[in-house]
Amino acid sequence: MGKRQPSITTENFTAVQLMELDSCSRCGECVNWCPTYDASGKNPGLAPRDKILRWREFMNKSYGLRARLFGPKEIPLAELEQFKNDVYGCTTCGMCATVCESAINTVELWESMRANLVKSGIGPYGKQGMFLKLIGEYKNPYMADNKDRTNWFPPDIKIEDEAEILYFGGCTAELRQRKLALATARVLNKLGIKFTMLGEDEICCGSALIRTGQYFINDTAKKNAQKNIENIKAKGAKTVLYACAGCYRASLIDWPRLTGQELPFKVVHVTEFLQDLIKKGEIKWEKSINKKVTYHDPCHLGRHVGVFEPPRAVLESIPGIEFVEMERIKENQRCCGAGGGVKAGIPDLALGVASTRVEDALATNADILSSACPFCKRNLSDGRDAIGAKELEVEDVIVLVAEAMGIDLSDTPAE
Amino acid sequence: MEYFAGVSDALRVTFVQMMLLSIIAIGIFIIGMYINLKKWSMGSTGYGQPPSKSIWAFPKMLMYQMSQHAHVHNQSVIETIVLDILFQRRILKRSPLRWFMHFTIFVGWMTLFAMSGAMFFVEMTHMIAERLEFAEVLPWFMDPVIFRQLLSVPNDIFSYILLTGVIIAIFRRLFVAKVRESTIAYDSVLIIGLAVITITGFIADGIRTGRFWGFGIDYQYAPPAALFHVVISLLFCIAYIPFSKYIHIIAIPLALLANKGGE
Repeated sequence: MGKRQPSITTENFTAVQLMELDSCSRCGECVNWCPTYDASGKNPGLAPRDKILRWREFMNKSYGLRARLFGPKEIPLAELEQFKNDVYGCTTCGMCATVCESAINTVELWESMRANLVKSGIGPYGKQGMFLKLIGEYKNPYMADNKDRTNWFPPDIKIEDEAEILYFGGCTAELRQRKLALATARVLNKLGIKFTMLGEDEICCGSALIRTGQYFINDTAKKNAQKNIENIKAKGAKTVLYACAGCYRASLIDWPRLTGQELPFKVVHVTEFLQDLIKKGEIKWEKSINKKVTYHDPCHLGRHVGVFEPPRAVLESIPGIEFVEMERIKENQRCCGAGGGVKAGIPDLALGVASTRVEDALATNADILSSACPFCKRNLSDGRDAIGAKELEVEDVIVLVAEAMGIDLSDTPAE
Repeated sequence: MEYFAGVSDALRVTFVQMMLLSIIAIGIFIIGMYINLKKWSMGSTGYGQPPSKSIWAFPKMLMYQMSQHAHVHNQSVIETIVLDILFQRRILKRSPLRWFMHFTIFVGWMTLFAMSGAMFFVEMTHMIAERLEFAEVLPWFMDPVIFRQLLSVPNDIFSYILLTGVIIAIFRRLFVAKVRESTIAYDSVLIIGLAVITITGFIADGIRTGRFWGFGIDYQYAPPAALFHVVISLLFCIAYIPFSKYIHIIAIPLALLANKGGE
């Protein structure tokens, strides 16, 4: 009889990540802050420290001292299946990494665990398995014709064939939250900024594949990142603007990692771009928005890359806006619940997290809950509807900017 | 001449036996760390890369990560070492009480460990010097009796500091419901070990010096008490580190360095 094989592999983990499993002091700080643990009714399996403990035990059963002396101990498939359910019950918001006293990079740890489970045939979770097929076939996860990314723009929108500035719209804004894409284009036009777009040559940024551990299959995410980079270069862009936090994060962090190369252009979120113009006095406000506005930091824009001030600076400069903060903001912000594949895989959990975030906004008596990400807007709107808080408007910062600049968006087509 | 904090021939434990015990403890530690290093090095040396087969994968990946620019709290190695590893500001930011507990344990433990090492060095040097007949040229403080006296006050101070941290840790585990409910054997072993080392250290010292924490136990029990403290310290302080939660003493500073600590 042959020696028993370990039940898990170390595929997709870096050596530092395997060490990080041993650096958890189980202080429990991550449990205090985890949004999905909270929204699940404190399901212990979702607690970040519990996931680290379990994978460390899997590692020790497979490769620890006892395993080396007497052979690996089998981990029942049901246990691995349960672990998969728990590790996918995470929005990869990174709150646990922010509060981790050991500074464990938990987001990438969860993503590596997911990729490992996908490789062993256990992951991904539910509908997330469709991402690869959809993105491979349609170049977006919404099963939409890729020509529909920008062909719906009203004729007044001027998009250059080539320009130094390129607006990377992203699947959600171009195909679902079109008001946001239209607002961005019209704001740039009104400011006299010549910009170009990829149109039907734009491919999903890969965030959905990366966050759910499917990026390595057929090298899809890498190939798409390379194509996007090549297409952006071909447009002559030196600066790429993003109004989607997910695309921004994927481009800034994941594309260079996937392709192994530095990006040949600057990655800028539209709020950073606008903040710069406001400082230079190049934006003229035409309308006043006399409302109380609060701001939700998208995880991918805030905690993941540290862009906290620009959206606030933009909102505060809009005439009439009374800006108020929620209790949990910036690096301690509470996730909207949509990320990490949770919206697609476990919609009830996503809704639960979103509802809590909407309650945070309601506690400020704000009229508008704003954000800087179409995916956040979508889930926060669902959360608002779920708790019946009809009085709260959920809107993107760029749409508020457009409104204050006197731009009409009433002609936005439906999805 | 009494070596190893009062262990004498009276207990039939010879210097050689104590040296052997120390070497065994260090040997177990090295084997354990080798196993851990091999386990860690089963990961890759880059994101998306295949698993490595080299034991150097871990140091290679660590160096790579340390050299990379971080998008959030990018900071120097010195800042990480001083503020995150030594001062432990990430804990302070989350919970001042937990920081105080951990910091007192850290400072007490590390200083006593360093002073034990220094005492060992002086005793060894003196013993060798006596054998080779050049003890009289050693500086005055290299006399083990004088050196022990020099360490006496700091030894007391850092023992109290350690004891304070250990008491808080035990209190939290026993009386703070949230902490108690989440405690597992992995956590308990660490605190029990720490408590046993601290308490036996105080008792051994009390018996030897006649102070009240010797509980009036006769001086003749000073050597076995000291021996017990030394053996248990060697086991927990060194040999058991790679196989238990004590590994965090090594792994957390490495994680802080790899991810650039920060706030």
